[in-house]
Amino acid sequence: MTVFLARLGAPVRGFLEFLGDQAHLALRTLRHAMLLRVDQLAVVGGQLKLQVRFTGLDALLLICGTALLLGAVTLIQAFSQLSGLGAENYIGVLMALIILRELGPLLTAVLVIGRSSTAIAAELGAMQLNGEVDALAAHGINPYQYLLLPRWLGVLTAMFALVVFFDAAALAGGFLVAKLKYGVTFGFFMESVRQALSNRDFAATLLKVLMFSGAITFHACHFGLGIQRSQTEIPQAVTKTVVTALVAVFALDGLVAALFYF
Amino acid sequence: MIQIHGLALDAADGTLLMEEVALSVPKGGRHLLTGSSGSGKSRLLRVVAGTERPARGRVAVAGRDLWPGDGALAHMGRLSLGLAFATGGLLSNLSLRDNIALPMRMRGVPAQDWQDRAEGALRRLGLQAVAGLRPHAVSAAARKLVNLARVLALDPDVILLDDPLEGLDAADHSAALEVIHGWVSEGKTLLAAQEEPGALAELATGRLDLNAHLVPRETP
Repeated sequence: MTVFLARLGAPVRGFLEFLGDQAHLALRTLRHAMLLRVDQLAVVGGQLKLQVRFTGLDALLLICGTALLLGAVTLIQAFSQLSGLGAENYIGVLMALIILRELGPLLTAVLVIGRSSTAIAAELGAMQLNGEVDALAAHGINPYQYLLLPRWLGVLTAMFALVVFFDAAALAGGFLVAKLKYGVTFGFFMESVRQALSNRDFAATLLKVLMFSGAITFHACHFGLGIQRSQTEIPQAVTKTVVTALVAVFALDGLVAALFYF
Repeated sequence: MIQIHGLALDAADGTLLMEEVALSVPKGGRHLLTGSSGSGKSRLLRVVAGTERPARGRVAVAGRDLWPGDGALAHMGRLSLGLAFATGGLLSNLSLRDNIALPMRMRGVPAQDWQDRAEGALRRLGLQAVAGLRPHAVSAAARKLVNLARVLALDPDVILLDDPLEGLDAADHSAALEVIHGWVSEGKTLLAAQEEPGALAELATGRLDLNAHLVPRETP
């Protein structure tokens, strides 16, 4: 019986330990961010800029292309099911419910996990093996300030911008279909979307971006910096980062949905 | 300046690698760590640098307790220490010049000052021609010299050197040795790891042979 309970409890304990590690990493990063001096901002800002460029700017085309297609396909499918029922009257609700509330932040997070969290985990793992993290600490460079903080803020800034672009591109895709199918004007389309949106949607999106970016960055940092001995650990760390970050993002998405709309 | 008491380090398999290591290096002292390959010399330097946690024991540098504790993280910016790695230790996404400048920039050294110090260190070790390249684009010997140049430019009170002369040709060897002689004449506290004492033996005021502290391993 004890063995059975121990087997049952081990994964739960492991999961709780993992959550504790994540919280510890986030809190330590915040604490060390408070200790940052003005004369260090240029160096940390340089790292932040690199992260924003990689996570945000370099992914912009991918995000916009995906969103444009998604917006168009969503309305094509909706019109195919709701034709004859005045589908054009539900454009705003459909776009707000499906794209802006849910799929915008969620798919952006999935794409950022695929592109950036994998890169962060692999980069930090290689740095760890190459003694670069040790070299930073030995020479008085705080790894939380130089490595973790700019990556977190970079992913946060980039994700916020990407969600805005994702939503805009998805609306553009939706509008194209609506115009071609029903001759809907841009004014009518935007007004319909605006009416379906509320301040609560903006707040939920902001909270999602904040939580997703934290989960994505700290999962990547946790597994990347956890590499100690061999190059073969890098792909393992990358895989673990993707799987756990995806689970975390979906769980957080559910939590925010329950918190705001249930 | 460097105090180590009752230090023990684990091996990769979790068994004890070395134990009861004790060392005291006074201010301006120059100590040599020797031992066979795999005896833990590099790891002991990282423990003293505060980046690797020992299995047990106390380590203090310049009166600050590193272990037990949070190591270098607890003393960021307050510990004047430099570590020249035997291999690696350079940020691969920065040029050699930026690698040398980074610790000074994070310490808030004025721009003109860190630029002059970085250029001076590059010149002294003959690295100016490759200063704009990244670590992967230069030879292992150049990377080793950049490690020395970083410490030279930072000008710390405590200097840790991991196999600083290994793998250098005659010209690089003499440039590196000249830099080390300079630190000796400036009265810096040095702790160097070498498999064989070699050229550093005449500079050392003390020596610790890690082979004497290795825990015998059972053969299957």
